[in-house]
Amino acid sequence: MARRPPRTRRLGLQARVALFYALGALLFSSALAGTAFVVTRNRLVDSAAERARDQVEANAGRIRNGLEDLPPPDQREAVAEGELDTVELTLDGTFRPNRTRSLLVFEGESRSIGGVEADAVPQPLRIVVQDGSAGQIITTNADGQSLLAIGVFIAAIDAEYYELARLDELDDTLATLRNILAGSAIGTAGLGAALGAWSARRLLRPIGNVSRTAQRIAAGDLSERLDPAVDPDLARLATSFNSMVATLAERLERDSRFASDVSHELRSPLMTLTASIEVLERRQDQLPEVAGQAVELLGTDIRRFQRLVEDLLEISRADAGAASLELSPLLLSEFLEQVVATTAAPGVEISHPADADDLIISADKRRLAQIISNLVDNADKYGGGATDVGYEGRGDVVRLWVGDRGAGVPLADRARIFDRFSRAGGEAGRRATATGSGLGLSLVAEHVRLHEGRVWVDDRPDTEDGAWFVVEIPVGDVESDGEFA
Amino acid sequence: MPVGTHILTVEDDERIRQAVKLALLDEGWAVSEAANGEDALNVFTAEPTDVVLIDIMLPGIDGFEVCRSIRRRSDVPIIMVTARADTHDVVAGLEAGADDYLTKPFAPKELSARIRALLRRSRNADSGELDRITVGDLEIRPDEGVVNRGGEELHLTKTEFKLLVELASSPGKVFSREALLERVWGYDYFGDGRLVDVHIRRLRTKVEADPASPRYVVTSRGLGYKLQT
Repeated sequence: MARRPPRTRRLGLQARVALFYALGALLFSSALAGTAFVVTRNRLVDSAAERARDQVEANAGRIRNGLEDLPPPDQREAVAEGELDTVELTLDGTFRPNRTRSLLVFEGESRSIGGVEADAVPQPLRIVVQDGSAGQIITTNADGQSLLAIGVFIAAIDAEYYELARLDELDDTLATLRNILAGSAIGTAGLGAALGAWSARRLLRPIGNVSRTAQRIAAGDLSERLDPAVDPDLARLATSFNSMVATLAERLERDSRFASDVSHELRSPLMTLTASIEVLERRQDQLPEVAGQAVELLGTDIRRFQRLVEDLLEISRADAGAASLELSPLLLSEFLEQVVATTAAPGVEISHPADADDLIISADKRRLAQIISNLVDNADKYGGGATDVGYEGRGDVVRLWVGDRGAGVPLADRARIFDRFSRAGGEAGRRATATGSGLGLSLVAEHVRLHEGRVWVDDRPDTEDGAWFVVEIPVGDVESDGEFA
Repeated sequence: MPVGTHILTVEDDERIRQAVKLALLDEGWAVSEAANGEDALNVFTAEPTDVVLIDIMLPGIDGFEVCRSIRRRSDVPIIMVTARADTHDVVAGLEAGADDYLTKPFAPKELSARIRALLRRSRNADSGELDRITVGDLEIRPDEGVVNRGGEELHLTKTEFKLLVELASSPGKVFSREALLERVWGYDYFGDGRLVDVHIRRLRTKVEADPASPRYVVTSRGLGYKLQT
């Protein structure tokens, strides 16, 4: 019974470990990157702010010097329309060379330098400055750029002075830094995933060994064992695995040796039986009628028995893994004609493809002949006789088929039909037969498997009733001269 | 069938020996028996024998050795009986000099057919019209059953001789193993290429100056053999 593998609800162990490593690396590196970013930004902002503050104080000092001795407004000379007043002249003198953007609130009047409107200065800063302190605040303008707003109170002239410094350069630096940090965090995560996959593979390698060994054992090589000395952690697994395989091998060997021994032992009496029955059959006309009928029955069943023993021997050899191919090159067209001539349907027409003369394959002749004759005999027993035998080249493989016009094989039976002692067609098929060993198709399957080919049963390609057995075997290496060593 | 054909069966299982004897007697042949290798060689020396049937699994001197001993003295047709068709036993038996083989349990009818084919071969080795074929320094005289190489007579068994005559009937033509089986062994059904291969190899050791690189009996692209002119 083939057991279905459990449904995979989760990722494989290897993928899980890799994912775990990747997530860990991502978490760690992004925490690190985040911290680095915040610290660096703060330091950069601090130093930018410090420089800006120094400049603000210097500018404030200049303004104070320029306006300290200014007489009160009512004592000043009037200025002509369009000309600058003293305050404006002072500011102009101070700021023309550098393009500082600032705001002076002097004598209740806001004076903008470089286009700073009064409402561009954040309200909280103004409150702080109006209270007579100095302050700074980072804000964003309408375009989304960061601005550093610094304000001082110039006590000597009772004025508020603000400067707005754009942090473009800082923004650029920070953006670059952010990109680098994000990139390296992602890179680290990738590296973590790779490391995880690698170490998971390393960890799983012994398990891979176990599964490969198990596969080879399942494929029939029962001499395979695990090396228990490789890893102390896995020694117990290896030891119990090995003892399990040993037990299994012993049991299988005992079973197949038994089948083989029984068949061998049966051969000698069979030899005597077949030789004797032939003598009797030859003289059937000299026997009383009842005795003649008995001899006929006996003869039929002895031949059936002989077939069964031969098939059992063949199968037990395959089971013991003792079967090996004896490959030789053969021209399919000629070979099939000869084989079919010896089967239950010697007259069936073989359909030769146009390239028949090129279809030379390397195969075990005895086994391939048995494949064909068993399929034809099977069609004879269960399908009312083979009606189609053909072949064609398909690149690296050749496909052979044997079709009949019987009842066909129900879908449910199509895999089972190649099992041992499973006869096609249920009761009807069973009643029709008196000669099958019940091993014919399973031998076909064994031989095809040895040739590393495939065999299956299908509907007739013309969709009429009937079974269509198809065998596909590799062309093989036909260039070797094929002589037996 | 010719009267007086004498068959020696070498088989250690008494019941099988008896049953086979019955079947062969039924064909009208004379049968002598041996239960082991020593007996077989004694009987073979004492009585005229036309065909020998040897079971490979014998107590004492095994079937291969019996086969080799007989072959050293005679080119009598020999049929080997093996336990399995796909073992080295088959090739080893043919190498030891057997002309043909059967796998146990075989039908006596099958055995009779093989014996008849072998008898035909040994009584009638002629190839029709040709009474002399010359290829290189090989001279084949089918009617007389003689092959000379450079004037020196070669000793071939009947099967080897028949094989050579078949190949020589159309020098240069490739004969498939199946065709050779049919013509030399007389099988009108699917046979075993090993029979042909082993006999070709034995033929080469006799007709070729250097059997490892044959000059006359050459393999053709894995499909068969031909006689190189």
